Amino acid sequence: MTLQVAAPLAGEVVPLSAVPDPVFAGAMVGPGVAIEPHPESTEVRAPIGGTVATLHPHAFVIAGDDGLGVLVHLGIDTVKLRGEGFTLRVVKGEKVRAGQPIVEWEPDAVREAGYSSTCPVIALDATAEDLSDLVVPRTVESGAALFTWNR
Amino acid sequence: MSQDKASAILTAIGGADNVVEIEPCITRLRCEVRDAALIDEPALRALGVHGVLRAGGAVQIVVGPDADTIASDIEDLL
Repeated sequence: MTLQVAAPLAGEVVPLSAVPDPVFAGAMVGPGVAIEPHPESTEVRAPIGGTVATLHPHAFVIAGDDGLGVLVHLGIDTVKLRGEGFTLRVVKGEKVRAGQPIVEWEPDAVREAGYSSTCPVIALDATAEDLSDLVVPRTVESGAALFTWNR
Repeated sequence: MSQDKASAILTAIGGADNVVEIEPCITRLRCEVRDAALIDEPALRALGVHGVLRAGGAVQIVVGPDADTIASDIEDLL
């Protein structure tokens, strides 16, 4: 079984090890990649189809129909922004299709507030061997293939 | 089960008296504690915690995607 994970927003794809946070950089919650968003990457889309399993202003998890969860985290330590500058387009528990807008934000505003705007995209509870087609560094468009999750 | 885990995590971070604030962030519990020395890292790891990060009185416990549920269960116990 393979799951195609799409880029939730456009930007520069970098390895998780480049993320300025030890939990993501150490792949403690799962492997993946990070996207350094372009300034105009204000719309964040579902990387897979499924259900909105967890929803914060600055981060969300979409659970696929087969139970696999993909986490998208908008910036680092952005929980401290307390939702300011983030506009949710869905509610928790909602069914979404891949590419559906989930949240809007302004990467530049997050950077100006002093936070990294790097967005980790994580295959929750996967192992590094489960992921393929991980190519870094490169530029990715919103909705384009980001990596493949095999299991 | 999840109530048990919340209770066990609370014990491993020094109990309700040691907790100033606890806040979930998707995969981790961000805790502010009175005495970080009371945090029992081996006990947390035995509970399936992925990692523990310390910075002074602030401790981040990486519990995985159930962080929101665990935090609200812990808050019920405070």
